[in-house]
Amino acid sequence: MSAISRQAGPIEDYIAALTAALHGPARIKARMIEEIHDGLADTVKAHTREGMAYQRAAHQAVGEFGTLDELVPSCQRELTIAQARHTARAVALTAPLLVACWYLAWTTDHDQPWQLPHTAQLLALCLAGVASVAALLAAATLAATGTLARWLPIPHQLPLAVAWTGTTASVAMAVATLALATASVLATNWPLLAFAGALAAASHAVVAASARACRQCARLPAT
Amino acid sequence: MRADAVRGHLDGLLLAVLEPGPLHGYAIIAAVQHRSRGALELRTGTIYPALNRLERLGLLSSSWQSTGERRRRCYELTDAGRHTLASERTAWSEFTTAIGSVLNPAAPPGFAT
Repeated sequence: MSAISRQAGPIEDYIAALTAALHGPARIKARMIEEIHDGLADTVKAHTREGMAYQRAAHQAVGEFGTLDELVPSCQRELTIAQARHTARAVALTAPLLVACWYLAWTTDHDQPWQLPHTAQLLALCLAGVASVAALLAAATLAATGTLARWLPIPHQLPLAVAWTGTTASVAMAVATLALATASVLATNWPLLAFAGALAAASHAVVAASARACRQCARLPAT
Repeated sequence: MRADAVRGHLDGLLLAVLEPGPLHGYAIIAAVQHRSRGALELRTGTIYPALNRLERLGLLSSSWQSTGERRRRCYELTDAGRHTLASERTAWSEFTTAIGSVLNPAAPPGFAT
């Protein structure tokens, strides 16, 4: 591959343009690009074995692979779905954690008078509700984009819906972080609440980043 | 056969050439062209996202394997992939029989399969 990297201008240009055009989870994108690069290298090798000059073989290989306009939408579609699954997985794993944090904080203080005002309890219930709905939607997305997709087409707007579900969950986690931080100052069992707040903050960081990437992917054209 | 016409049957073609055993991307392209004797005009780059999709659907599995000094991603059919291939063959057989019956009503049923 290194010999081709040095010699084949058309192939390197093609791969560079493809890399710039595609957006999605880094590992999956890198794997896709590497496979396409290998495929081009194999095609060039096959043509040169038949006696074709190297540069002509490289141009022909690129031509056979299809133009970027032909290739990018189908690659981007897969990367967008991969990013949606990535975001859905992050929400499905962290949202129940948020609910568990609240439940733990609530039950730990059960023996003592609850130190927070009634509005804080209502806020906790709302956030737990948002997290639960987000987790359910995320689980449904994982099913719909996995094995179920053999029989049911994936709705075109699903990645965008997942992106906004993730965004909503990440906002809920940010609010929960603030609420738990405030509660840890007021409550008697402050270490547990501070720990729950830190978990909520970490969950927010993971989900917000993934949801942002998902929104970016969902806006790109794909077949 | 034009690329547009092939596109709708790409999944079936990929599953079929993987039936005998695991292959990497370029070998899959070569197998499709060899079996079709070069008659299928395929934009070869498009098979990579298609392989990715078939793996996501659980019809293929893949793993990195070393071939010589290079490592390549090799794909193979799963049990679900074999079932889907059988369904694709049945659907294609019924389709060609039906179209053949319309295009050439004098021919005996099943001539086009």
